[in-house]
Amino acid sequence: MQTFQDLILRLSEFWAGQGCVLQQPYDLEVGAGTMHPDTFLRVLGPEPWRVAYVQPSRRPADGRYGDNPFRLGKHHQLQVILKPAPADIQRLYIRSLEAIGLDLSVHDLRFEEDNWEAPTLGAWGVGWQVMLDGMEITQFTYFQQAGGLELSPISAEITYGLERLTMFIGLAKSIYDIAWVDGVRYGEVRHQDEVESSRYYFEVADVAFYQQLFAGMEREARRCLDAGLVLPAYECALKCSHAFNVLDARGAISVTERVGLMKRVRDLAVACAKAYVASREALGFPLLKGTAGTPASPANPAGTEVAHAHG
Amino acid sequence: MPTGEYLLEVRSEEIPTRMLEPGVKELATRLFEELMARGLGPRQVETGYTPRRLVLSLSGLPEKEPDREEQVLGPPVRAAYNKDGEPTPAFHGFAKKCGLPPEALRKVSTEKGEYLGATVKTEGRPTREILAELVPKLLSEISWAKTMRWSSLLGGVGDVGPWVRPIHGIVSLFDGAVVPFALFGVTAGDETVGHPVLSPESFQVTGAAHYRRELAARGIEVRPAERRRSLLAGMEERAAAAGGTLVEDGALLDKLVAICEIPGVMEGGFDERFLDLPAEILQTSLRDHQSALTVEKDGKLLPRFLTVMDRPDDPAGRVRSGNEWVVAARLADAKFFFGEDQKVGLALRAEQLQNLTFQDKLGSYKDKSERMSRLVQYLCKLLGGTVDATVAARAAGLLKADLPTEMVKEFTSLQGIMGGLYARLEGEPEEVWQAIYDQYLPASTEDSIPRGEVGRVVSLGDRIDTLVGIFGLGLIPTGSRDPFGLRRAAQGVVRILLEGDLPLDVEAAVIEAVKLYGDRLSRTPEQVLADLWPFLADRIRHVLGLKGYAYDEIEAGLAVKMIDLPDLKKRVAALHQARTGADFLSVVLAAKRIANIVKDAPAGKVDPELLVEQAEKDLYAVHNRARREVVVLADDYEECLAEIAKLAPELDRFFVEVLVMDKDPAIKSNRIALLQAIGETVSRTARLTEMVVDRTEHRANVGAMAEAGGAI
Repeated sequence: MQTFQDLILRLSEFWAGQGCVLQQPYDLEVGAGTMHPDTFLRVLGPEPWRVAYVQPSRRPADGRYGDNPFRLGKHHQLQVILKPAPADIQRLYIRSLEAIGLDLSVHDLRFEEDNWEAPTLGAWGVGWQVMLDGMEITQFTYFQQAGGLELSPISAEITYGLERLTMFIGLAKSIYDIAWVDGVRYGEVRHQDEVESSRYYFEVADVAFYQQLFAGMEREARRCLDAGLVLPAYECALKCSHAFNVLDARGAISVTERVGLMKRVRDLAVACAKAYVASREALGFPLLKGTAGTPASPANPAGTEVAHAHG
Repeated sequence: MPTGEYLLEVRSEEIPTRMLEPGVKELATRLFEELMARGLGPRQVETGYTPRRLVLSLSGLPEKEPDREEQVLGPPVRAAYNKDGEPTPAFHGFAKKCGLPPEALRKVSTEKGEYLGATVKTEGRPTREILAELVPKLLSEISWAKTMRWSSLLGGVGDVGPWVRPIHGIVSLFDGAVVPFALFGVTAGDETVGHPVLSPESFQVTGAAHYRRELAARGIEVRPAERRRSLLAGMEERAAAAGGTLVEDGALLDKLVAICEIPGVMEGGFDERFLDLPAEILQTSLRDHQSALTVEKDGKLLPRFLTVMDRPDDPAGRVRSGNEWVVAARLADAKFFFGEDQKVGLALRAEQLQNLTFQDKLGSYKDKSERMSRLVQYLCKLLGGTVDATVAARAAGLLKADLPTEMVKEFTSLQGIMGGLYARLEGEPEEVWQAIYDQYLPASTEDSIPRGEVGRVVSLGDRIDTLVGIFGLGLIPTGSRDPFGLRRAAQGVVRILLEGDLPLDVEAAVIEAVKLYGDRLSRTPEQVLADLWPFLADRIRHVLGLKGYAYDEIEAGLAVKMIDLPDLKKRVAALHQARTGADFLSVVLAAKRIANIVKDAPAGKVDPELLVEQAEKDLYAVHNRARREVVVLADDYEECLAEIAKLAPELDRFFVEVLVMDKDPAIKSNRIALLQAIGETVSRTARLTEMVVDRTEHRANVGAMAEAGGAI
């Protein structure tokens, strides 16, 4: 029986074997692994990058007080970025499924169109939802734009929904029943968190406080940008985004306000993206070394087994 | 033996289902046209696709282009030779340009004098060379609905595209030999692969037949029509085995065909307890979430579903158990929503509409509901009390109450339907719940209009309120920008009025709808009408056109004052009938002639004393009769037009024998006044001058008489 933990370990190991930096979850509240600066900022500019990490992703409005067997206010994504995306990325992805023990010769795997768009990040990409036996198990995206900037080279983002995947492999009836590790159920690790977070985000969170937080963090982000501090500015933008999600869950955002608040978050994300590229350029795009001088030769295409040199 | 066969297969990562068919069609059409233009028409063009392949096979292509001979003119002879008769540099330049030896040039006489000339023969280029140029160009130019860029095969060297998805391989074979080209870093060859999981090894192909055989051996079918046939047959068989029949869904089946390259039928079941859910919910959930069709027996669903798997079989039963697991989770969700919604009830949902914005300036859906309730009562009054205004107002008040329900939030395509189902469960009368259920009909050309009178009136009220509100803010749709779906709304209004035979005074309805908006609108009722009327007229043209009426018939009908839509349709239909008669066509021609004659003349009155010629006296008499008849016949438009047609002989005679522009101004004005009166009479049903008449055909019909004299 495949545990939640097995999945994390095997996927991490697989992608580490592909030359990915095994990064850790970002230590701020984010709605998706894409918002981790190692995705959102690293896909900008010309530097190559390979990274994999688990990202707990908070969606306050999706919380169900621990009652719904399929829905969570916080779930875990395993996020992979390959920049540039190698030509055999789909093949690699298929191998990653085999690495977690799936015998694809008895399954039905399909790639169905699903284009990703994150208006608050000024980002969009083209790709698929990967369906295994009729279940969506992965989002697969070729990023085209982030922070309002055209991307080159193009990155591939692979996002596995870990709870769903574990559930699906074991055909479990409830998320809370899956084994985190032998002897410990997911529910035993997380149920209290789901119950209390739902209550907090839906009933208790102080609307006025979060409104102030949004405005304050927005100001702070601008101050950081003025001081030439890109990463702190981006963290403030993430705080704004989370405050927005909390206010949304509290039902405190009207339809008209929503558009305006989203634009403010996007403006910050776009400003951070521009500042990040400028800052990397000022550093001489350090990760280009080792690739800039020795472009991959046609005889040895930037293959999958060839680990990228990271500074 | 060469058969002039070209095989093209482009392998890429999965292309979105909606783009496959248009993409391959565009490629085939353009290649065909380009080849035809070069005299290289193939005997046959076949196309195929799977999510991972675009396939084109052409047969009967010539080996090379036809050779061409072209007559070319060079410099004038006097510039081609010097005084001594020796060839000049201009002579040699021309010879070089033509690629011919000096002796091949000759003198040619033209209107402008003598020139140097030559016959230049161009040998046709080999077809393979042309394909090698054309195919990559046309492939890269396919106009995909959405494109992307990706890193080229060489990795990190640069990005390529735009194209729909990354390309991985190209087979390009002309009579078995590779037609080489490269596209986005991929070189064309003779190798392809099978299914990415089941048969990923590459293999060589030699031609179209071999290619199809090799793929078939791997279970892959590139012809979508074949996959469709096979899927449908398989599904029908499974449905029959389960003791029922397949609920057909052509659009979904098309999607399934485009989603696989191996057309495997996936059959699954779900718990019978979900059969408590209305069929609409089950079908929508299965269709939207699982791309699955349903099975019915005696009008009831069986606990089964059918979809596709991109593989021939399910050896471990794992595909089925996976699909069933997902379906169970989805249906459990749906059942939960259905229960929760019923606990809340529509009355409370209707209250919640105040938090749902209809349009920034036009207020919430609650405001809209209140306006609609009042508007539909007014519509009932306008329609003469055949529809119960209280019932209609009740339906209008609950019309949008399903928008905040969990079920509609989950499945927007169920809006209206859910409201109707919940209203029925709450014991609302049939007319009310059906009106809610049918409110978005007709959503497409195939849809019928709402089934009951109440439903029709309520649907009209909803659409008129929306049209008037948005037009009242000056937000008139332009080009492809129509964010509020006003074209569809207007089309719905037109179809409900025409097909429901509802004699609604649209102008009065619009004015009332404007009034109900209070001070929310930025435009006056007159401005709204002035903008809305041409918009509606366009929809009327479209709808009547679909019903088989000719453009000029519709224009002629629209050009007279509108009473209501069913009346307009009667006029157009009468015109459609009448136009086949020769006398009627004579009157149409006469009407056009009259319009020309009277166009700048002041209005006058006929004085019988001033009628001189017998022909005009006779015309006066028959017209008086016709005018009386037309008034009596009122809206019996076919008879009216028949009466008018009777004027033809006298009209024709008049134009032959009488000169309108008499020297005596009194006689002249009298004749013009007579023609004015006739012009009005003949265009009471429809403005005949809008009709297009093929004069040559007409002349053959009625003989030369009308054309013989030009009286003017």
